[in-house]
Amino acid sequence: MLKLFITNLKMMVRGRQALFWALAFPLLFTVIFGYFFGGGSVTVGTVALINNSKSTLAQNYEKALNESGILKVKKDVNEQEARDLLKKNQIGAIVVVPEKFGEMSPDAPRQIKIIEDPSNAQIVAGIIGFTNQFLVASDFQIANIKPSFSVNEEKTTQKPLSYFDFILMGLIGLALMNASVQGIAITMANYREDKILKRITTTPLKTWKFIVAEILSRLFLNLIQVSFILAIGHYGFHAHIYGNILLIYAFALLGGLLFQSIGFTVTALSKSTDSAQGMSIFITIPMMFLAGVFFPIDQLPKWLFSIVQYLPLAPLLRMIRQIGLEDTSPFTNPLNIIIVGMWIVIMFLISLWRFRLSDE
Amino acid sequence: MSNIIEVKNLTKKYNSLVAVDNISFSVKKGEIFGLLGENGAGKTTTLEIIEGLRKSTNGEIKVLGMDVRKNLLGIKERIGVQLQSSAYYEYLQLHEILELFGSFYNKEVDTKKLFKMVGLENKKDQYIKNLSGGQKQRFSIIASLINDPEIVFLDEPTTGLDPLARRHTWDIISEIKKQGKTLILTTHYMEEAEMLCDRVAIMEKGKIMAMDKTHELIGKAKHPYKIEFILEKDNPKFTQDLEQKCAIDKNDVKKLPGKTAHYEMKLHTQSNLNKAVGMIQKQNPESLTVGQTTLEDLFIELTGKSIEEEEGNNA
Repeated sequence: MLKLFITNLKMMVRGRQALFWALAFPLLFTVIFGYFFGGGSVTVGTVALINNSKSTLAQNYEKALNESGILKVKKDVNEQEARDLLKKNQIGAIVVVPEKFGEMSPDAPRQIKIIEDPSNAQIVAGIIGFTNQFLVASDFQIANIKPSFSVNEEKTTQKPLSYFDFILMGLIGLALMNASVQGIAITMANYREDKILKRITTTPLKTWKFIVAEILSRLFLNLIQVSFILAIGHYGFHAHIYGNILLIYAFALLGGLLFQSIGFTVTALSKSTDSAQGMSIFITIPMMFLAGVFFPIDQLPKWLFSIVQYLPLAPLLRMIRQIGLEDTSPFTNPLNIIIVGMWIVIMFLISLWRFRLSDE
Repeated sequence: MSNIIEVKNLTKKYNSLVAVDNISFSVKKGEIFGLLGENGAGKTTTLEIIEGLRKSTNGEIKVLGMDVRKNLLGIKERIGVQLQSSAYYEYLQLHEILELFGSFYNKEVDTKKLFKMVGLENKKDQYIKNLSGGQKQRFSIIASLINDPEIVFLDEPTTGLDPLARRHTWDIISEIKKQGKTLILTTHYMEEAEMLCDRVAIMEKGKIMAMDKTHELIGKAKHPYKIEFILEKDNPKFTQDLEQKCAIDKNDVKKLPGKTAHYEMKLHTQSNLNKAVGMIQKQNPESLTVGQTTLEDLFIELTGKSIEEEEGNNA
């Protein structure tokens, strides 16, 4: 069996296409998302600032905006250029501080003008909120009033987390799913079509040994996948990983097992390699978008969420994120592990019932 | 010689279709036994039931003295199987495939010897896709020998090969026999069975139509003798005369297609043969060949059609 295991690994390395899907594809995602969202603070977007006033208030405003970290600030443009950039969608809003704004003379203007593109709702909300807050605070200061009410922020986790951290854990699930569902389904269907499986049954090798060697060699591939994703995410794009790495690996293996069981079921239910390929894409693509790889699924409409939360990938990702991002026990909500366990048992039972190495 | 395989009252049904219909036969140690028949006659099904790949509906099968239903693993350890049109791992070199399959058995043969036996020594580091059809077939034969089996099953080992590759395969098969192994093969090439098999069984629609030592089977034919002759020109009067005096059935004298005045005659007895040869010689024939009936003729006699016809229909 060890021989079969090693041979399987050898074949995976030589079958470059399979390796590409298993490794390069998720790594590509990691790198792309890493460039977009990884590393340092996350800003909502860019605004152009045209500050025509030399007053202290105007200078303070500019300074505060620069340091806010919410928005990137573009300067050194005139209003016309800024409007062009706005049209081209390169900035989300223009802030114009009029001449003499904040000076103590009676004819000094009292309003900061914001030219906005309503389609950039996040940037617009950000800059208006920020500006209002700044002006209210300044008013209080001028009138020498101390605010009576304020917000007391409490974050659920004290650790900084970015969208990229969220995605990175999702990509682990995605990689496991693609490699295992498609890997098993297509390889097994292909072996069956080429009668390699039948040829195996002419030897004294026990079927379970053949299957176990196949499963183990793919789990080994899963470990490599997870290592690559974590390493590139962490060292390449400063992703935060808080939980126990070994526990992440353990749940990745659980995920590998889960998706292999689905792969075997696909082979059992399909008649040819082509149909196995079609069926596994039909299963993995919707799951990729609906089970929380790229965004939290509780943002979905309620009726849809109530269904997709039971997809195999969803509870797995919830658990992996609990470990990796929150450093809490994956068993806080036992429903997650129960759903995953049920999927594995049901899928293996169907495979056991329908999957045969050769025809009767 | 003792029986190494015994098949008694074997039946295999797929719902209402009877693929194998109550057949019995045995294979003796050290012989080459041939299962002959058209596509769909039940040869492969029979073979795969003996190999333990399919379950029989009825019947008893003993291989090497062991019951297929009870001691399959013990049997698999000591037999070698070449499947009809089976492929091998795409991403493994030939020697790696052999080593892998060897690891499935308790007993393992030196792969170098096997490669040498079929002339593939310098292909052992190649992948299967780099082999020709004949080389693939030879490789699949040595893959069935990796555990030094006592019985070797070859399912249509030469189908689809060109004549030269086929002859090469025949040499390999006789070489395996020389090593003291028993071989069972299926084929629909009559000359192949005639050349290789000690005994043959002819199958048609799941039943065995005839079974014996190959030459005796041919001898038992209704028309054991055959003459071919070419006259100067067509002579219907003479051939009618020939048929009346020497033949037992109508159509025993047949004009062959193609060449002008080329005839074939099937004969029942030695004395008729002598008489016919005498008559033809008086006609100053351009050519006259006397021969024995072949398995092909026998097959046509038994099934009422030629295999090539049947293949043509399937294609």
